[in-house]
Amino acid sequence: MRSLHRVAALCSQGRCVIARRPGVLNPAAAVAAATSLALAACGGQATGSAPAAGSGKPGGVLTVGFSVQAPATLDPAKAPQNYAWFEELAYEPLIVQRSDGSLAPGLATSWSYTGTGNKIFVLHLRPGVKFPDGSPLTAQDVTADLRYVTTAAGQMSAFFAGDTFAATGPLTVTITTAKPNPDFPQILTQDDVIGDVISEKGLSSPSLLGTRTFGAGPYMLDPSQTVAGSQYTYMPNPNYYNKPAARWKKVIIKVITDPQSMLNALKTGQVDVANGDPTTIAAARQAGLTVTSTPDLWVGVTLADRGGGMAKPLANVQVRQALNYATSRAAISSALFPGTGTPTSQLIVPGGYGYEAALTNAYPYDIGKARQLLAAAGYPRGFPLRIVTGEYGGMNLVAQALAQQWQKVGVSLQVTDYANSNQYFAAAFGAKFPSFMTVFGQIPTWVEGPSLFLPPASFNPFRTSSAALAALYQQEALSSGEQQARLDQQIEAYLVGQAWFVPVATIGLPYYATKAVTGTTTSARAPLLELDEVRPAG
Amino acid sequence: MFRQVARWLASSVILLFLITALTFVLASMAPGDAAKAILSSQSGSYTAQQYQQTRRALGIDQPLPVQYWHWLDGVLHGSLGTDLFSSQPVTQELNARLGPSLSIILATVIVSGVVGVSLGIVSALRGGALGRLVDVVSLAGLALPNFWLALVLVELLAVKVQVFPATGYVPLGAGPGPWLRSIALPVLTLSAGAVAFVAKQTRDSVSEVMSREFVVMLRARGLSRRSVVLKHALRNAAIPVVTVVGLLLVSLLGGTVLIEDVFSIPGLGQQAVTAAGSHDLPVIEGVAFYFTVIVVLANLLVDLSYRLLNPRVRGS
Repeated sequence: MRSLHRVAALCSQGRCVIARRPGVLNPAAAVAAATSLALAACGGQATGSAPAAGSGKPGGVLTVGFSVQAPATLDPAKAPQNYAWFEELAYEPLIVQRSDGSLAPGLATSWSYTGTGNKIFVLHLRPGVKFPDGSPLTAQDVTADLRYVTTAAGQMSAFFAGDTFAATGPLTVTITTAKPNPDFPQILTQDDVIGDVISEKGLSSPSLLGTRTFGAGPYMLDPSQTVAGSQYTYMPNPNYYNKPAARWKKVIIKVITDPQSMLNALKTGQVDVANGDPTTIAAARQAGLTVTSTPDLWVGVTLADRGGGMAKPLANVQVRQALNYATSRAAISSALFPGTGTPTSQLIVPGGYGYEAALTNAYPYDIGKARQLLAAAGYPRGFPLRIVTGEYGGMNLVAQALAQQWQKVGVSLQVTDYANSNQYFAAAFGAKFPSFMTVFGQIPTWVEGPSLFLPPASFNPFRTSSAALAALYQQEALSSGEQQARLDQQIEAYLVGQAWFVPVATIGLPYYATKAVTGTTTSARAPLLELDEVRPAG
Repeated sequence: MFRQVARWLASSVILLFLITALTFVLASMAPGDAAKAILSSQSGSYTAQQYQQTRRALGIDQPLPVQYWHWLDGVLHGSLGTDLFSSQPVTQELNARLGPSLSIILATVIVSGVVGVSLGIVSALRGGALGRLVDVVSLAGLALPNFWLALVLVELLAVKVQVFPATGYVPLGAGPGPWLRSIALPVLTLSAGAVAFVAKQTRDSVSEVMSREFVVMLRARGLSRRSVVLKHALRNAAIPVVTVVGLLLVSLLGGTVLIEDVFSIPGLGQQAVTAAGSHDLPVIEGVAFYFTVIVVLANLLVDLSYRLLNPRVRGS
């Protein structure tokens, strides 16, 4: 689920200050600087992967900058998707997501649905795979791992609720689902984390999964070189089945939460590749860094209280549509996301699941139309609306912009701003507010349902249900290929037509890389940078 | 002597108890709790049952006094509890972060002390324009936001001229040179205001002592100015300066938080902020405990300095 959890990587623009004038330097500091310069003569290498350490050369050290708060756990069954990098280095997934959006064999060499209704999914495992402790990968390992995921209460656990897992051969796993699931191949990749297989040794000591790794991936976490919350060091796994793919003698993930500090680390070669921030994209390009960004998120409003229990006006579709018409998406996009944002009225980016070009401008900015709809709904003077926002993805700034814009139609947006993400999550998902700012990613529609718009979804805290939507979703679950693509579009069209949300812009999560590395491309269906594709340049 | 040590120990224990209890109460009053934070980060939404189960598993469903007692009991047995998120011993986590924070704090105190005292003495003795310059510089140093200064120093000394690393910390075990280089910019940043503070206090103290009668008499006896300053005046002027340096050390405990963030240094300040945002009570308590111990030791050092510098205090 490429949800707002993942995009906590983005910081609010207000945090980033870049001083361009030297200003007045304290002479005392200058004296101390001179002293330190003398001391520096005794010094050796700077921290991080300075170029001389081998960055960019085969067999060197890859240093990755991670701009979000460090993961609380390294357990792949519990870690949210935005920590996929920490997992994919050590855990090989069943199916590999490539950067162009295609799927490739991982621990499973082939997979397919059998029968009808997308209820039975079979995986054939790769022979000869060993975990770092030397134990071989078996079908029992995979079934035990998937059962553990189901009980771990992680982000994706709900997708396996009611499913059964059987080892129907030494290297054959059969998953039987209670309900149709057309997207098993996508959710068993490294990007959704739960496709990462934990060894029997790890599963027998689940308390260790939080701080150590037990996967069959190209690297293993080295606790002796790891400082929890700050630096995570991975060494090559001697038992990895595809040794040439483990290109680096060491991979270090450094947690650097300040966007300017991250940029400085890249400029000085301390970091080779990192997730960036929209506020530093221009500076990154100016510094000669490679900037990769694929639109994969939408930022806007979730009009959660569609039943009107807390905010009665939201129960009326005309009101929700009016809010969409009252939004000048182009103005917000150009002001807050220059060069990276694209105005949109729909939840899907070009190339994404269910994208339809015609929906992008489904709600052109039209104050007159907005007022007309509000009047028809019985709110000619508007109404007050409470909204809660966090401070990543620029959502709090978008909230301020919307407050000004919606004022023109009499809607008084009362914004509660939580800098602490956990407080924001609790308020938004806890149905404490009738609306909340949202940053959401691109995921298969079948996965999107329980995440975004079906009654049990986090983003549907008031449990709004729709028979029409449920019917479309059920059909989508049974479909595949072109039929599935058409149903995806119909679901998205329904959401846009019913105005459950007010999408404002699609934005991309930028990645920065130095010239010493390459392989940092992303795509609409694989917007997360795949670390296993990063390799020395030249 | 024994009574004094016993009194010091008793007051330190009471202080530790008061600070950690107050921290416990204040942290508990913040909205939300660790169970919500964990469940929100893992799965977004959760049921009331899951929430209560998680609270029970974490032990935070107990009344506050019971929770505090359990924590205190752990401290008496040498344990500061377990991080609610990572399940790691708090002591282990905080010890890993103590080195970076102490390195920066102590280095800042040393640099500020040496440079500040030197500047203060020079300006007190030369007086005039130099004295006024110290005043102006003091104000500037105190007024400059250290976040801004940090960015400027990084841009100049790490990015443009790559003398120092822009981020990160190298432990002393990896070599004194790399270690010093890794803390140079954070120390420079924090020293800017601190040097000014110490210099001003030193200038005022030395000026005041130099105007006393005994100094005039010493000069009248033919002692050189250098001898009078170094052997007599400084000793008398030192006590307020030592007090200021002690206060500086204490203020740096909180002052390093922003600097650790800018330079991405895995210190106690960073840990404290993360723990506070996540309602990780054992870690919050652990940081409060560590900080209180540092403050107590700093005060002890200051008191001992008084005794060294002032014979009348020794005898009292």
